Amino acid sequence: MPARKILNELKQRFEGAILRVDIPNDARLFLYVAPEQVRAICRHIFREMDARYVISIGMDDRPFSGQFLVAHDFAFEPEHVLASVMVHVPASDPRIESISPDVPAANWAEREMRDLVGIEAVGCPSQKRLVLPDGWPDGVHPLRKDVPWDFRPENYDENRTFAFDEPPAGCTVVPFGPFHPTLDEPAHFRLFVEGEIVRGCEYRGFMVHRGIEKLGEAVLTYNEIPMMAERICGICGCVHSVTYAQAVEQAAAIRPTARAEFIRTIMLEIERLHSHLLWVGLANHILGFDTLFMQSFRMREPIMWLAERITGNRKTYGLCVIGGVRWDITPEIKGEILSVLDKLEKEWIPVAKAVAGDRNLRKRTQGVGVASKSLVKEVGLIGPMARASGVGIDARKDHPYAAYDRVEFDVITQDGCDVWSRVLVRVLEVFESIKIIRQCLERMPAGEIQLKLDGELPAGRVGISSVEAPRGESHHFVVTGDDNRPRRWRVRAPTYQNLQGIPAMIKDQQLADMTISLGSIDPCFSCTDRLEVIDIRSGAVTVYSPAEIKALARGQGIG
Amino acid sequence: MSEGLLSAAGYGLANVVLALAAAPLCEGIVRKVTARVQSRKGPPVWQPYYDLLKLLGKEDIEVGESPSMQRFAAYLSLGATLTLAALIPMGGRVPLDGWADAILLVYLLTLCGVSTLLAGLAAGSPYSLIGSSRGMMTMLTLEPILAVAVIVGAIEVRSLRLDAILSASLFAGPGWPLAGLVMLGVMVLALQAFVERVPFDIGEAETEIMEGALVEYSGPKLALFKYARMVRLFVYCALFVGLFSPLGQGWIYPLGLVAFLAQTLVLVLLVTLVGATHARYRIDQAIRYFAVLLAVSVGALLLAAVGM
Repeated sequence: MPARKILNELKQRFEGAILRVDIPNDARLFLYVAPEQVRAICRHIFREMDARYVISIGMDDRPFSGQFLVAHDFAFEPEHVLASVMVHVPASDPRIESISPDVPAANWAEREMRDLVGIEAVGCPSQKRLVLPDGWPDGVHPLRKDVPWDFRPENYDENRTFAFDEPPAGCTVVPFGPFHPTLDEPAHFRLFVEGEIVRGCEYRGFMVHRGIEKLGEAVLTYNEIPMMAERICGICGCVHSVTYAQAVEQAAAIRPTARAEFIRTIMLEIERLHSHLLWVGLANHILGFDTLFMQSFRMREPIMWLAERITGNRKTYGLCVIGGVRWDITPEIKGEILSVLDKLEKEWIPVAKAVAGDRNLRKRTQGVGVASKSLVKEVGLIGPMARASGVGIDARKDHPYAAYDRVEFDVITQDGCDVWSRVLVRVLEVFESIKIIRQCLERMPAGEIQLKLDGELPAGRVGISSVEAPRGESHHFVVTGDDNRPRRWRVRAPTYQNLQGIPAMIKDQQLADMTISLGSIDPCFSCTDRLEVIDIRSGAVTVYSPAEIKALARGQGIG
Repeated sequence: MSEGLLSAAGYGLANVVLALAAAPLCEGIVRKVTARVQSRKGPPVWQPYYDLLKLLGKEDIEVGESPSMQRFAAYLSLGATLTLAALIPMGGRVPLDGWADAILLVYLLTLCGVSTLLAGLAAGSPYSLIGSSRGMMTMLTLEPILAVAVIVGAIEVRSLRLDAILSASLFAGPGWPLAGLVMLGVMVLALQAFVERVPFDIGEAETEIMEGALVEYSGPKLALFKYARMVRLFVYCALFVGLFSPLGQGWIYPLGLVAFLAQTLVLVLLVTLVGATHARYRIDQAIRYFAVLLAVSVGALLLAAVGM
């Protein structure tokens, strides 16, 4: 049993520090460790055992155990194990030693933990805010259980601004965002530019945090959350809904029906198809090659239509419930899926050939936005980013879920480490997705699509789940609770890790390469921020103050 | 004398009117054909006229570091382009017959670039400054190519007179026009850059620097810039035809005009197709490309000088 093997190695090394262990199945390992040893254990797991850092979670567990809880999640790829190293932190002194000095990828997660839960990671290299807006009062942490979900701070300070770093000598500041034509969502990169060369940057995102996790923990129920989870992202929503459902199912030791697992697999791959086609289009648009942009969107349209045919919606599928799915695939729809796939495959072959042979495209992307293998490890890059740097990680193979253990497909890797390799990986993955859907349709067993669940789910259990989203691994952490809803639900979208690689990727390269480098991670800021874009009608010529915009957005009108 | 001046003014004015009238149509053709290549329906070919009218009718907003310079830049852009249009033969004779010399052409073309530069400086945003600096780098490497083409023509016909040079002068020398053919190749490869279309729309690059120098422009001033850009496509094609093509030169009235328009249309279609099948180059890549072209054109100049 691989999980037990990992445990034994850790036990040998840190005998007294491991307080409690839970191994619910072969692929999961939950360790409760002593606070003073957590950094050493994480370093050992990350450096010596070469596990991949996934995410850190902070949780207000005071109403239940009287303490705070911190979990550091790691993935052991060759062993197919997801592990969580958990620590209880005293309520009177919510501080924990930072692991960021050893595991640089934990930087954002620890900052988020401080912002939202108020657990201080002592020794974290960056002390700046990550998630909370600039004007939010200090000492108020929205994810604490004593803060109501609809809390609005009285002493919100409109005039407080973010303290950006000073640009290095000889550099000018080029603001990239918060609104930029290539970013469909707000995010702000302050670029330090010397001539046309980018020397560094600072990121300020999370502009419109929606507090979806808080809603899930305070308002929604187990089966309502998948609908909300889907709305985290406008492109890979289904991924979040499946990841959440799987995390709950693992926590409650439920297994969805076999047919449901196949249907989830099919929908995830349909989502990957539309997402990759979208990305190939957008990447080419960024490079000014609008013809492939348009053609790729044309080919994507039948996929969107297919999703609507199956689920009634182009994008938000409303697919998952705990223990199954809502929509079945009838023989009639099966035929339609197959014919759409055939057409797509026929059209995509020439595109793949044209892209692979395009010197012009290659010139703009080769050697651009380089993410070395060591960067992949340090920052925890995932998905096509890692695979384009020769690191063949793919949650579908490494941590099989749904029906991925019952289909054959290849993990596409390239070793250019640059944007060009990422283009190739995504272009070729389209064929693998087609292959997977065909096998699923062929091998899908008959039967129920939902499990009959009687009674409440057990409280206080921990579940973690990883799903390979089009842009990398999406990871959810769930602690089940009472009142038919989880106590803690933490979403880690792939962009959360991939975005942290950007400063290293754009350093010392041309400003013109900034957009495609950023584009190459297929950024999804809404996943990262869990944000909302507010549309304001501009009829009359009126200049709104931030407070007025907020009042408008909350439907209060302007007084 | 005064009669000659009058006819020159008449021809010049006719050219300006033709350029103003035909340029948006050319743009419309570019858009329509691009759309077809991209499996789109595309806007009607008249759309650019509507766009310009709409922009001209909008509120004129003063913004940026220096609004008056911004306004001047917009006037200069269209003004320089139209002056250029007045000097180039468009299916008739060269308007300033025997008075203007070819150096004027190069100056006017440079002035078009300068207007973009001023526009970027006037806006004063980091993106517009980047756009300006890219525009300047392009201008510095690109303008000499055109100057070489004009000089090669001047050598072949032993004259700097505009009418002599714009009568397919590059092939006019005695013997086999090797230098002219080399320059033809160079100019075909550089045409896309002269008219600032993909893959050389680097100074605007909407997805990188948000239209560069034009980032702060809106309404009527933007209309002037857009109009100037459309006219430039038409004028550069006309210049190209004048330098290289003997077809239609000296033909009687409607025939000459028809031949000119047909050749211009071919060039516009060429620009469209190249634009639709390429990704944008980075400024350093573009400069290297221009440098190679410049080196080749200097070679052609040497060939012309030794009489080949």
